[in-house]
Amino acid sequence: MRVSPVLLLLAGAAAPVVAQESKPVKTPTVVLVSGPQVGHTAPDFTLAWANKDGVGPADNPYQLWRDRGKTVVLAFYPKDFTSGCTAEMQTFADQYDTLFGPDVIVVGINADSVDTHQRFAAKLGLPFRLLTDPDLKVARTYGSYDSSGRPRRTVFVVAPDGRVHYRNSKFNPMDPKDYSALGAAVREARGS
Amino acid sequence: MRPYLAALLLLGALRVTALAAQDEGPAVGARAPVVQVPDLNGKPVDLGQYLGKRPVFLEWWATWCEQCEALLPRVRAARAEIGDRVAFFGINVAVNQSPERVRRFLEKTEVPYQTLYDQEGVSTRAYAAPATSYVVIVDRDGRIAYTGTGGDQDFLPALRRVAAP
Repeated sequence: MRVSPVLLLLAGAAAPVVAQESKPVKTPTVVLVSGPQVGHTAPDFTLAWANKDGVGPADNPYQLWRDRGKTVVLAFYPKDFTSGCTAEMQTFADQYDTLFGPDVIVVGINADSVDTHQRFAAKLGLPFRLLTDPDLKVARTYGSYDSSGRPRRTVFVVAPDGRVHYRNSKFNPMDPKDYSALGAAVREARGS
Repeated sequence: MRPYLAALLLLGALRVTALAAQDEGPAVGARAPVVQVPDLNGKPVDLGQYLGKRPVFLEWWATWCEQCEALLPRVRAARAEIGDRVAFFGINVAVNQSPERVRRFLEKTEVPYQTLYDQEGVSTRAYAAPATSYVVIVDRDGRIAYTGTGGDQDFLPALRRVAAP
């Protein structure tokens, strides 16, 4: 497994802002973003899961290596039932066929429990699984973690050969161009 | 000390403004970006006609956004109180909806702002809008006075301040 650290400077990156007013300009902070880059092997992991129909069996967790040979989309997102994450997951669901297509495995990942995931997936009718990364070890491995204590919204496309084909560490759930780029990356990975 | 670590510390010490963090909008006090956003008919609306000239209220919303729906009564009440002293804009995000869907929504629901439809996500990127229900209030000098998200956010004090003569 090659995981070369890459530095990305993010000024002003801190805990997500709920509301701010009458404050001076935020003190910039620096966040170190690491994790697998494009062309590197996606690190394997094992996580519990849930989907809209229920919680996955404890003896059958999600394991990335089992999907070798398929295109896999890993979507790290901060928290279930929040507006940005709802926008992202709902869009993935509603545009599933055009964004991903058949035989593509999509999983959402954050620290929420499998029970919360199940309710979130059922509410949105998600046609894919949500994985629970309770201590965010996988998020850290993938460089999808920051000081907020939640996963950084990051999307990876893992090609059938197990290598990272695409990575967006600043996926904006409200930007149509980010979805277009993701869809294009999935099509490329499926053909690679 | 490794060179990259030294570089990080130096840049942090210099308070370098670089990339905006995701899930976080621009800072209070920053100058509000001037962008053009189309209305529902595709006609560009230049926010530069308002920003820096009068206070502005911006909300990024969508028809499917429950928090936007929860916030709507507060925005209505604010508009009723503040009136035209502030320019109110509701910017629809072009994710998971269409202009037709927005029009159908507006036939049933009265909104207290001029409706825009950001087909290309220009304003979303310029303001690093992290989520629907994201509100930005800009003072008459064109500087951001408030940002927030959620259906229960309390933007009214900031709005009253920027609207004050």
